[in-house]
Amino acid sequence: MQKLRQSGTLIGFVLIIAFFSFQLPDTFLTARNLLNISQQLSMLAVVAATMTIVMVMNDFDLSVGSMASLSGIVAASLFVNEYSIWAGIGAALLVGLVGGLFNGILVSVIGILPFVATLGTLTVFSGAAFLLSDGKTIFGRDIPKSFSDFSRGGIEVGSINIPMLTITAGFVIFICWYILEQTNFGRRLYAIGGNREASYLAGIKVVKLRMFAFALTGLGAAIAGLMYASRVASANPTQGAGLMLDAIAAVFLGMTMSKQSEPRVIFTLIGVLVLGVLDNGMTQMRVDSYVREILVGLIVIAAVAVSSISKANR
Amino acid sequence: MMHKLTLNNVSKAFNGVPALNDVSITLLSGRTHALMGENGAGKSTLIKLLAGVINADSMSIFRDKEPVRITNTIDATSAGFRFIHQELNLVPEISIAENILLSKHLPTLFGIKIDWATVYRRAELALEFLGVTHINVKSQAGVLTSGDKMLVMIASAFVAEQEASPYLYVFDEPTAALTDQESAMLFSAMTKLKEKGAALLYVSHRIDEIMKFCDDISILRDGVLVKSTEIKNLKKAEIIKFMTGRELKDSYPPRTASMSSKNTVSLRNIETDYLTGINFDLKAGEILGVAGLAGSGQSSLLKLLVGVGKALSGDATVLENSLAKSPHEAWSKGIAFIPRERRSEGLCLEMNVRENVVLSHLKSYGFHAKPKLERSDVEMLARQVKVKYNGSQQPVFELSGGNQQKVLFARALKGAPELLLLDQPTRGVDIGAKYEIYTLVRELSDNGCSIIISSSDLPEILGMCDRILILSDGRQTGLLEKCSLTSGDLLTNIYSSDLR
Repeated sequence: MQKLRQSGTLIGFVLIIAFFSFQLPDTFLTARNLLNISQQLSMLAVVAATMTIVMVMNDFDLSVGSMASLSGIVAASLFVNEYSIWAGIGAALLVGLVGGLFNGILVSVIGILPFVATLGTLTVFSGAAFLLSDGKTIFGRDIPKSFSDFSRGGIEVGSINIPMLTITAGFVIFICWYILEQTNFGRRLYAIGGNREASYLAGIKVVKLRMFAFALTGLGAAIAGLMYASRVASANPTQGAGLMLDAIAAVFLGMTMSKQSEPRVIFTLIGVLVLGVLDNGMTQMRVDSYVREILVGLIVIAAVAVSSISKANR
Repeated sequence: MMHKLTLNNVSKAFNGVPALNDVSITLLSGRTHALMGENGAGKSTLIKLLAGVINADSMSIFRDKEPVRITNTIDATSAGFRFIHQELNLVPEISIAENILLSKHLPTLFGIKIDWATVYRRAELALEFLGVTHINVKSQAGVLTSGDKMLVMIASAFVAEQEASPYLYVFDEPTAALTDQESAMLFSAMTKLKEKGAALLYVSHRIDEIMKFCDDISILRDGVLVKSTEIKNLKKAEIIKFMTGRELKDSYPPRTASMSSKNTVSLRNIETDYLTGINFDLKAGEILGVAGLAGSGQSSLLKLLVGVGKALSGDATVLENSLAKSPHEAWSKGIAFIPRERRSEGLCLEMNVRENVVLSHLKSYGFHAKPKLERSDVEMLARQVKVKYNGSQQPVFELSGGNQQKVLFARALKGAPELLLLDQPTRGVDIGAKYEIYTLVRELSDNGCSIIISSSDLPEILGMCDRILILSDGRQTGLLEKCSLTSGDLLTNIYSSDLR
């Protein structure tokens, strides 16, 4: 039963790939399409990987989507005022870090439930993005060419060109994996997720670590926002909106694959791939995007249901 | 007329490891049947099978000649089985009366409005049956002391039934959290149930209690029934021998090293939100016992020393410092703590033994995790505290209570603490593991570690401690030298201080 749960998502993933390869024999399993998928996915992968950091502690962050929008707007607004690229990027990352820290303070120091606290900041960040941008999309000449060129570039490996966005996502995923799996900082976060009270009494600085973890998630959202802005060469106060649900969905999908249903970065990545491949394949098959939404929702419910059933069976 | 409840050929294995192997027990109405065995012997598994929480690989139950089928908890209830569990599962936000009637349909007027008068009356009757009159059933359950919580839990099994009355009551270590006085109330209620013709199955680690109150006994060891007989046929030493498979002589290891004269802890007139007038010195190598009625502030005192809560006034010197401000600070200064509730306050149950042991000591492994080094460290400690497990990668929820407690001891020992705080260290721990824990504590004290033990087990306090601090309602009412104290003297002190 547990084996089936743990391998179910992977089996599903393989079936999805097989299905699309069969339906789209000429276009789906090509190097070009796969690289394209990896690029489409890169923002989601960054947000989902950093979302994993808080979900390890049984917390979560609903504000990542609006934080991604805000970070793009902050950078673009600075570009409009002719600040340098690095100033724009630095300010956007700082906003992500501070916003995440603010979430952390609300949740950890003040003790508001993550759902309520980050629902509040979701609205705050989104409002700030609209305010800064006057509700308009910032695009065209205001966005420096070298900023948008970043996402068009890539690194040649043999005959293929790996997109910079994919490389950035890979780098962020690696850092998250390293932090969570290979450092004692990560171990402490898993302990907090396992039993917060026991961790506190065993001498773990629970308040500080939770705060710090939320800051990292905010930073990840800001990175994703910059990647998005670079990719579309514009910033719009709603462009990160879809990221939050997909990121949480990816982590939940990944959780079905681990032993005790705890989030793991590598499994989150597989969750991201499932969602991305579905998206790509269905777009190619011209399936209505609303149908895709229904499907993603059902997949998340199924994933959570499977984890819950196996926990209740103990 | 005497009824007979027969359990035949009960077997259950978890992941291929047998927890119960072909156990058959007969329970008689009007009698109390003790179920004994070390932690991991299969007692809890048997109870869970009876309650329908888990399903057996094989089991047949007969009431007299009539078969009883139990596949889920509803079956167990309708079969007339009632369970009093050792865990405190009250809902703190709702009233005590609602907690007592939690598993029943609340009585209503015209099928709509809850008939509160009847709710309160039925809850009061259930408590009265237990001899409890000091609890107001209208107040919230959250305000109860832990002893009173247990009484409320027990009372919920005594709510009068409209249908046929229950005929099997299963008590799973009900007295673990009770004082002697509260236990006495429970026993008189149990006698009344017996007189009504119910069969009682009673699980406890307290042999004296069992020899006094039970009629029959079944002893499990490693999932096998090793003895089932009338209790008058067995002596205490024989029971222990059947349980452990070995003979235990002296249950409390004697002190072999003398105490140093150096004070490690010195508290003067400490006052906190829960405690007043706390005054004592503790020497290196000394063991101080903390005794009192349940909820008198023992846990608060230990937690204060580990950095939870703060002193409002008074002076404190702990290991040449002031009081720790957080558990983090306490652990890093050489204070180790084993909390009262090992499952909710001590362990990350789904994590493995290694991760749980090193939890307080991750700093010593630097920034980068070093699982291999940890594993060898933990395996050495586990041998020292004699954990029975399938390797340090085993999740702790799979271990028995006594072994879980030893994992916490391994964690405490890891940092070579100078001050060790133990809150109910042997609660729910079987007699073999208990002795091993006492030996460990004695070794530590002989090596100069100062130890504070809070316990509701008076013989344990008397057997292990050099001095005993009595708490009553958060106030220190005595600090006794052990010397020639008996359990009776100690009780007199605990209760007389309560009257003051």
